[in-house]
Amino acid sequence: MSAIPVSASDRRPALPRRRLGDLAGHGYVWLVLIVFVLPFLTLLAYSVTGPGGTYAVQNFQYVLGSFGDNLWWSFRVSGLTLLINLLVALPAAYAIVRYPFPGKRLLYSILTLPLYVPGAVIGISLVLVYNFTYHLTTSVWGLVLAMAMGTFPLMLTPIVVALKDLPVAFEEAAECLGATRLQTYWRVVFPLIGPGVSAGLMLCFIIVFNEYLVTLFVHPPSVTTAPLRVFNLVRTAGLAPTTAALAVTMQLISFAAILLFFRVFGTRYLKGTYLI
Amino acid sequence: MTAEPVGLTLPGIAAEARRRERNRRLVGLGLITPAALLVLLFLYYPMAFIVQMSFTLGSSYLSPGGPEYSTANYAAMFSRYLPNVLVTLQLAALSTIVNLVFGFPFAYVLVRKIRYRDLVRAFMVFPMFGALYIAFGMRFILLPGGPATPILQAFGISSTAVLYSLPSVVFAMSIFTFPFMVMNIGAALSNVDPTLEEAAACLGARPMQTFRRILLPLTRSGVIAGILMVFGWNIGTFAEPVLLGSINEQRALAWTLYQRGVVQTDYGLSSTMSVVLLVIALVVSYFSLRYSRGALVE
Repeated sequence: MSAIPVSASDRRPALPRRRLGDLAGHGYVWLVLIVFVLPFLTLLAYSVTGPGGTYAVQNFQYVLGSFGDNLWWSFRVSGLTLLINLLVALPAAYAIVRYPFPGKRLLYSILTLPLYVPGAVIGISLVLVYNFTYHLTTSVWGLVLAMAMGTFPLMLTPIVVALKDLPVAFEEAAECLGATRLQTYWRVVFPLIGPGVSAGLMLCFIIVFNEYLVTLFVHPPSVTTAPLRVFNLVRTAGLAPTTAALAVTMQLISFAAILLFFRVFGTRYLKGTYLI
Repeated sequence: MTAEPVGLTLPGIAAEARRRERNRRLVGLGLITPAALLVLLFLYYPMAFIVQMSFTLGSSYLSPGGPEYSTANYAAMFSRYLPNVLVTLQLAALSTIVNLVFGFPFAYVLVRKIRYRDLVRAFMVFPMFGALYIAFGMRFILLPGGPATPILQAFGISSTAVLYSLPSVVFAMSIFTFPFMVMNIGAALSNVDPTLEEAAACLGARPMQTFRRILLPLTRSGVIAGILMVFGWNIGTFAEPVLLGSINEQRALAWTLYQRGVVQTDYGLSSTMSVVLLVIALVVSYFSLRYSRGALVE
């Protein structure tokens, strides 16, 4: 056997047949992705049609005008929910990671159960309880607390992951150097788990901002969020370009939030959550 | 060797350690209390409440004589509303199959061949915004006069026959949950060493054989987790059957319980339906968690 040295770079990287397979693979992925965004794209196209097939910016002006109230409610409900989620999930995550507990796994399952309960079940059970026990039916807080309960596990998980990646040594070092407890949290812990917290905020925002099902059950009569308005209009009023414009606006805002997060933090902080 | 400080005897140190340990436990409990209260007040108590409610007749909970307790709701569930349960299970099962068939190759290409994964992820977030927009978009596509009408007419199909039908509902549900399936299978696939496939190919295995004998067994837990997760999410389907299905055939449980409970104020029956839905969802989720990539907190 003559020993002709074959360096790794000499070998053909891909055989033609294999390349054909790769091409088919990429084609398949793109086909699926297009089907995926097809509902969005057609709504986008529909939302800019006016009478007689003209372009219509009026549809989006209508969104800010007539639907402005609904959008504003969506933002307010999302904001309040995020605030509650943060106040609830931060200490809980810290306790789960840093403090000794009997039955920690069970506790974690108990806290994250809301993710596995169907929205309609959450909705009907809260409607009944708000009516008969809590008397919360006319307050927006009923809606906000329902949202917070349903989504705070989405906040909890990334924070738990971030805290687990943060060695206790940092906190101990800060304490040894004379930092108070608060200083340690504020100057050391929070900045270092920032990406995890942001991931939680982003996920919760997207879910709460677009939630229509639990809202349909528990919204007070005076509050109609934008996704609920979309649902009601599509179900009862037939289709209109303005409704499509509202749905498109909601999706674009959500998409912008995700893109912003990807840009600033990358995707690795979403590991363990259900997005990636 | 330094001498032991005066006053710190061994039992003293042990007692101090125990005291600190107890303190830490108390602080930990304090930190977790808000979260525990939130789920207790807004999830566990309401769940217990609907279980109680499911044994009361109609809206008799409000009657002055106190609630009438009976198991009539459960009897009605299995006599009159069994079709709703079956339709719900059928829709969830069909969309799970669609997700599996299309999701496995997708996850494979994504994990093994594609470098622009972040771009694909950006596409894949659209279904996360909710089934509502997907159902709305598909309704617009399929309505008579919509973009799909000319294509359907070319095949001689009327668009309402497609719109108010099982396939359109299943299709929308599949789009909604596709990312969950891809995520679970992809996570399992990325743990499989690519050299195993190459070895199989070198040993003369056809692609189908490699898939059946190597890939599928090694990703089994991911596949099962994906199946269960998708099924669990689709059990509670609401917007798709309402906007795309026919009212007489695709009567999903979530929609029926909304109708009975909120519109017709038959709290008892509505609670019974949600108890049934809840039990199915929790059983599925339990197994889904057992098969998924392991709990975060050990």
